[in-house]
Amino acid sequence: MQSPVYYALVNPNLSILMNMCFIFQRITIPEIMKDEWFKKNYKPPVFYEKEDADLDDVQALFKDSEEYRVTEKKEEQQPTAMNAFELISMSRGLKLDNLFDVEQGFKRETRFTSKCPANEIISKIVKAAKPLGFDIHKKNYKMRLENVKAGRKGNLNVATEIFQVAPSLHMVEVRKAKGDTLEFHMFCKNLSSSLEDVVWKTEEDMQETK
Amino acid sequence: MGCHLSKRSKLIPGYEKPTVLAAETPFTVSEVEALHELFKKLSSSIINDGLIHKEEFQLALFRNRNKRNLFADRIFDLFDVKRNGAIDFGEFIRSLGVFHPNASTDDKVAFAFRLYDLRQTGYIEREELKEMVLALLHESDLVLPDDVVEVIVDKTFNDADLKGDSRIDPVEWKEFVSKNPSLIKNMTLPYLKDITLAFPSFVLNSEVEDSDV
Repeated sequence: MQSPVYYALVNPNLSILMNMCFIFQRITIPEIMKDEWFKKNYKPPVFYEKEDADLDDVQALFKDSEEYRVTEKKEEQQPTAMNAFELISMSRGLKLDNLFDVEQGFKRETRFTSKCPANEIISKIVKAAKPLGFDIHKKNYKMRLENVKAGRKGNLNVATEIFQVAPSLHMVEVRKAKGDTLEFHMFCKNLSSSLEDVVWKTEEDMQETK
Repeated sequence: MGCHLSKRSKLIPGYEKPTVLAAETPFTVSEVEALHELFKKLSSSIINDGLIHKEEFQLALFRNRNKRNLFADRIFDLFDVKRNGAIDFGEFIRSLGVFHPNASTDDKVAFAFRLYDLRQTGYIEREELKEMVLALLHESDLVLPDDVVEVIVDKTFNDADLKGDSRIDPVEWKEFVSKNPSLIKNMTLPYLKDITLAFPSFVLNSEVEDSDV
């Protein structure tokens, strides 16, 4: 089959590449990215996060420093206690963003309460996240879940942390650390259906206007 | 047309010129004007009198004018600086100013302290903290036995009440917040920096040109 005439006016390498796209089997994106024509002057996109996600604590957690390891040992017994004022600050009456009544898009973090022991919560999250294609890094009651496959804005990274409100009540925070917010939203939906027997109240349950 | 609009605006109780409010808060004149649009919307939702009443405030926060909430009450009372039962435009702007990302941390810390000092005694008493914890648990439909609530309150109080006199004073509070910065996270509304994007109509109504006539 003859290439259309206009291809002849273009860089022959591009022409060959385009033929491969349309004529032979459909070339894949990764294959295109390996092609010489494509690689010329190519700069991979860097995805900037608009919001200021505070990643300091997440980064610090996974830094392999000796001194950090030593102090962590002491805290291995219990999850961090949730301060009463932190608990109070979750009230819907203090969420003045609602005055603006704006479509603020999908949430970048969520939380749920659980009556299960902290270790059980951890293992259930691990069990739920692994089949979804996530790598798990764990340090005490904090975890970093990373999607092995890159998504729309790089690899989705999720940070989770368990707080103890009372011996029988834990608060689990699930936060997007990196990546596409919609993918994070889908991840949370999948996670919550796998964690049905662990979750006591979701954030929606707690914020329902009675 | 400009004259007509400024006449109408001066009928709004507590109206202060955007330039004055901008000078005394972290807002720019444009931001004050954009917030004016928001204020008009909120203050006319039930009674169209240029004032935000408690029910209008509840309607905005909870989409339910009759929803009672301890914390919303505290916010309302703090915004109502003149304590006359409604929030006027000046009070609205000046109070929201504390929530601006550029407002000083000291201002935010002080506002949070007054927020949690339920009976305005100048201290956050242990009973007040317990009352707030119970309010939050009730609001979230989380039921806990009283002795568990006591443990939660005790632990926090012991961390914060350095003098051990069963109450948290402003100095202890400031110290406590510096150790737990996330405590004033909800004292900042990042969205305030984008407010002019949400209410662009002010561009047509701008009173900045109506300088002191």
